[in-house]
Amino acid sequence: MTSNTPSSTDETGSPNWGAMFDGIKDALRLPAWVVSAALIGVGPLAQAVGHPIGAAMASTIFVWAGPAQVLFYGGLASGMAYPALAFVIGLSSMRFLPMTMTVMQMLRRPKQSILMQFAIAHFVTVTVWAECLRRLPDMREDRRVPYFFGFAVTCLVLSTFTTAFGYVLAGNVPTHFAAGLLFLTPVFFTCSICAGARDMPDWLAIGMGAVLEPLVLHVAGPEFDLLVTGLVGGTVAFMIKMNRRSKVGTLA
Amino acid sequence: MIEMLAPYALMLIVAAVPTGIWRAGAVVLSRSISSQSLVFEWVRFVATALLAGVVAKLLANPSGALALAPDWGRLGAVVAAFAAFMAFRRSVFAGVLTGETILILSVYLTQH
Repeated sequence: MTSNTPSSTDETGSPNWGAMFDGIKDALRLPAWVVSAALIGVGPLAQAVGHPIGAAMASTIFVWAGPAQVLFYGGLASGMAYPALAFVIGLSSMRFLPMTMTVMQMLRRPKQSILMQFAIAHFVTVTVWAECLRRLPDMREDRRVPYFFGFAVTCLVLSTFTTAFGYVLAGNVPTHFAAGLLFLTPVFFTCSICAGARDMPDWLAIGMGAVLEPLVLHVAGPEFDLLVTGLVGGTVAFMIKMNRRSKVGTLA
Repeated sequence: MIEMLAPYALMLIVAAVPTGIWRAGAVVLSRSISSQSLVFEWVRFVATALLAGVVAKLLANPSGALALAPDWGRLGAVVAAFAAFMAFRRSVFAGVLTGETILILSVYLTQH
């Protein structure tokens, strides 16, 4: 566990870089291994379209979003036009907007430069987001950014190597294990989101997202289903949360 | 030389930029909103519902080798993962391990 000193805002403002090691330790406990195992699957896809191993590794460093990388190499393999592919990837990555905003709220500090904030934003993924929701609210503010970088950079570095590993391994993985690697993303997303749930509205948002998506897919189509699902499910859960809070009274 | 760099340039323009644009946009948007604002709370709920939707989409429309898993395997594995996650005091490890075991078995059994 990381140190759970109650949050306070009295610090001089300099980050406590020792907290970076807590982030590295927490990442190596499980999350970094799961993300990096999930990214093994990107290697063979890059290999199949004839891209060099370095490009596969660079995609993990610069895209840093498993589903977008799978779409990219899968789209190239099926001969999709580049602008269409970029559009589809852009839509699939929309989740990073609300996720990164949530992370920014917890990590930003008064004198932080916008470059630092862009650097933070680049490392946001579901794994990192879920970890932030769980750990940061109870963490002292001067420890948060170093902890974040320790955690997120560990995940990214390990994943860059496993992407290369997958590239070398391509074609030599039995199908049931290949299926297992692809299943890592949904199963880990599920557990990560649920680990961050604190009260009924949180669970409601999760349940609504899961149930709404297949229904919305028919109405809104495969481009905007996730956007609509997130907006509808999230807004209903938010309104219920506000309603409960106003009944309790002063808890705001 | 140019040909050697093409895969990198393509990856940056077609995949990294369309993804990074949302992260950068979030930074710009966040700067104009107070940390105490309820907007952040609403955004967190939207992100949660959206991610649950991503999971549903990945499971209902599987790609690659995952498509070889039967429907019962994918659905059963994620339900079992959730049950194990809850049963073991919200252990992500227990959840992932249980889900993976069932999914891999389901593919193996369908193929043999």
